[in-house]
Amino acid sequence: MNEITLTINGREVKGKQGDTVLEVCQANGIDVPTLCHLEGLSDVGACRMCVVEIEKERRPVPSCTYPARDGLVVKTNTERLEKYRRQILELIFTEHNHFCMFCEASGDCELQKLAYRYQMDNVRYPYTFPSLSVDSLSDYLIIDHNRCILCGRCIRACSEIAAGYTLNFSQRGWKESVSADLEQPLGESSCLSCGACVQACPTGAIFGKQGLYKGREDECERIQTVCPGCGLGCKIDVLVKDNNLVKIEAPHLTGDSRGTLCRLGRFGLLQATPPRVPSPLIRDSEGELKECSLDEAIAVIVRRLDETDGEVAGMVATRLPSETLSLFKKFMGDVLGSDALDTLDGETYRLIRDGINQFQNNGRGIDIECPIEEIEGADCIMVVGADPQETNPIVSTLVRRAVSQRKAKLIVVNSSRDVFPLWTDLWLKPKARREGALLRILAKAIVNKGLAASERVAPELVELPPDEVFSEIGVDRGTLESAAEMYAKAECGVIIYGEGLLWNSDTSTVTTVLKLADITGNLKDDRLRVISLKSGANSRGAWELGLAKGIKNHKPKMLYLFLADESESEELLRRLRGVDFLVADPAFANMGGKKGDIRFSGRTRSGIQTGTQA
Amino acid sequence: MAKVKVISAWLDACSGCHMSFLDLDEALIGLTDRIELLATPITDIKEFTPADVGIIEGAVSNEHDEEVARKIRQNCKILMVWGDCACFGGIVSMRNLFSTEEVLDRYYHTEGSICDKIPSSEDLPRLIEVKPINQVVKVDCYVPGCPPSAKAIRAFGGQNPGAAQ
Repeated sequence: MNEITLTINGREVKGKQGDTVLEVCQANGIDVPTLCHLEGLSDVGACRMCVVEIEKERRPVPSCTYPARDGLVVKTNTERLEKYRRQILELIFTEHNHFCMFCEASGDCELQKLAYRYQMDNVRYPYTFPSLSVDSLSDYLIIDHNRCILCGRCIRACSEIAAGYTLNFSQRGWKESVSADLEQPLGESSCLSCGACVQACPTGAIFGKQGLYKGREDECERIQTVCPGCGLGCKIDVLVKDNNLVKIEAPHLTGDSRGTLCRLGRFGLLQATPPRVPSPLIRDSEGELKECSLDEAIAVIVRRLDETDGEVAGMVATRLPSETLSLFKKFMGDVLGSDALDTLDGETYRLIRDGINQFQNNGRGIDIECPIEEIEGADCIMVVGADPQETNPIVSTLVRRAVSQRKAKLIVVNSSRDVFPLWTDLWLKPKARREGALLRILAKAIVNKGLAASERVAPELVELPPDEVFSEIGVDRGTLESAAEMYAKAECGVIIYGEGLLWNSDTSTVTTVLKLADITGNLKDDRLRVISLKSGANSRGAWELGLAKGIKNHKPKMLYLFLADESESEELLRRLRGVDFLVADPAFANMGGKKGDIRFSGRTRSGIQTGTQA
Repeated sequence: MAKVKVISAWLDACSGCHMSFLDLDEALIGLTDRIELLATPITDIKEFTPADVGIIEGAVSNEHDEEVARKIRQNCKILMVWGDCACFGGIVSMRNLFSTEEVLDRYYHTEGSICDKIPSSEDLPRLIEVKPINQVVKVDCYVPGCPPSAKAIRAFGGQNPGAAQ
């Protein structure tokens, strides 16, 4: 790294070749006011607050876009610059309609803070009072164009960080505004509601609906924790005031893998809390749930226990923390005398585990997959039987980033739909439940074309099947061969597969995925470039505690269903069919489809979760 | 030492800035030894007479406000304005987002009024575009805030030789 020396405000300071003048100032503790600059985003020099004087430049220049050079003589705090900065603020305030007194961002607003700093106690220009709209049709976000200063931070966050490319400027000059797609309401646009724009906005122009007016940032306690939204375990900052959730932010808004959040993490957790029921409920002879005392509920359970001959099983949500899971296991064993335990995603876990075991595993245990950060460096990504935007949206952000910003190729294998319609290079669309078969032919095609690292090739992979097999699977031979070339020729090819691939499937599918990565040499640090998506935040913790062993008897006489805040899913209801007596223990009153002969609910549980991204 | 003579008015505003002034509480007692309130909403005297300091709260919203602002300016040596309405236009200037006709129509026809038609008389001042004071007359000092706190008013009075002599 080439070191350079500059003179800033008469002081000699060091910087790196490639820094901007602003970066050198910030690294040396020299305060320069900024507005359109945000760490983690590219700089555009839109607001001109960071203007500096540079010797031999005829006029002040924005320091955020001016490249630092050896020997530059810079002044950041002259009277002229301070005058210009105040003038810029006055112009910004007259351009749109800024009324701090009822603004959600008042107190947290960067524009307001600068107005205080420059003691803007009056404005010398006439106000323009443009007629601007407020877009509040989105479920999570509001855009108030009155408060927009057109700094473009939301637009850069949307494209550079979220890779959503929804927001951009429309019109020019006085009419310029931030708009979604081609001037669509945000709620009807391609917006994925990740909220990166909310965190980037310096004023109250884009804000989340849920935390509205619940408190200013400096009145909140900022708690660093881990998102329970899915199995990725992203770090989140939770802002809390008076024991109320105000908002959730990414610790740093950056282009790193974990530098942003998705709608599940930023907004999903703030959804209105469903009601809790403090008293146990019992289902009467008419099938209605009635409140009862704890003693009554226990008495009924004890009576039914006697009739079950020990055929009691427990099923548990993997969103619960390890402490709770461990206690549940102990309760099932010591109190109910049963080791028939399963998690909601236990079936997936067992398929993956068996698949890995069938693959030549060299004693690496279950940790054979790569971290999601690997997607960032991929030049080819294959998404098989998964919809990351639904289950693990940050993975989909990383995929879009790789494809749009680094020109990675994207192959989607999905029998029902293209999950990245704007970005997919090749969509292989097998018939329903034939993804596994397709992958096996794909492996053969790679070997057949001589694209495999030879020493890893298993002999059964060499021959390509006849045309009938292709049509039976529902895929065209040419498309499949293109996919084989695309994936096998990549320097860094990552396969992402989801629970969808494993339903109605067998362990050999997982083995095939691993083989694909293996024969193409997609291995780094002893890990294959394969990522399986898991929805449970603490799936891994539950597995390690031995809760995912599986229940042999699919119709136990009594089932203790221990849930967090899972909603009524098809999968859950399917598994509850045929149970004689169901004890449901969800966190909230209406979770788990209101099923159960006895229902307990009303507790919040906290503790540790182990991410699947070890 | 002669008392500092003060005149003041609230134009298009909520009177909150004058309330903030009254929030000086016990400090008011000492202040009455140093200032003399002539025409102000507090004394309820309407005729402006020459004074050392003029104070305006609120924005200029109609022809009457314009005239009051000019009269105060003519009668004082130092003009101080209080609050966001007077400094920047404030809440009341949100009316500028609509035409005068739309505003009157909304007020008298759709929001439940005891008048069924828009009052009109030569005696009633005409509504104009809402403006901060410095777009009508020269202002010497600004105390922004919505409302400015009693502390801010006091601090400003203390620093400003004209107001606190």
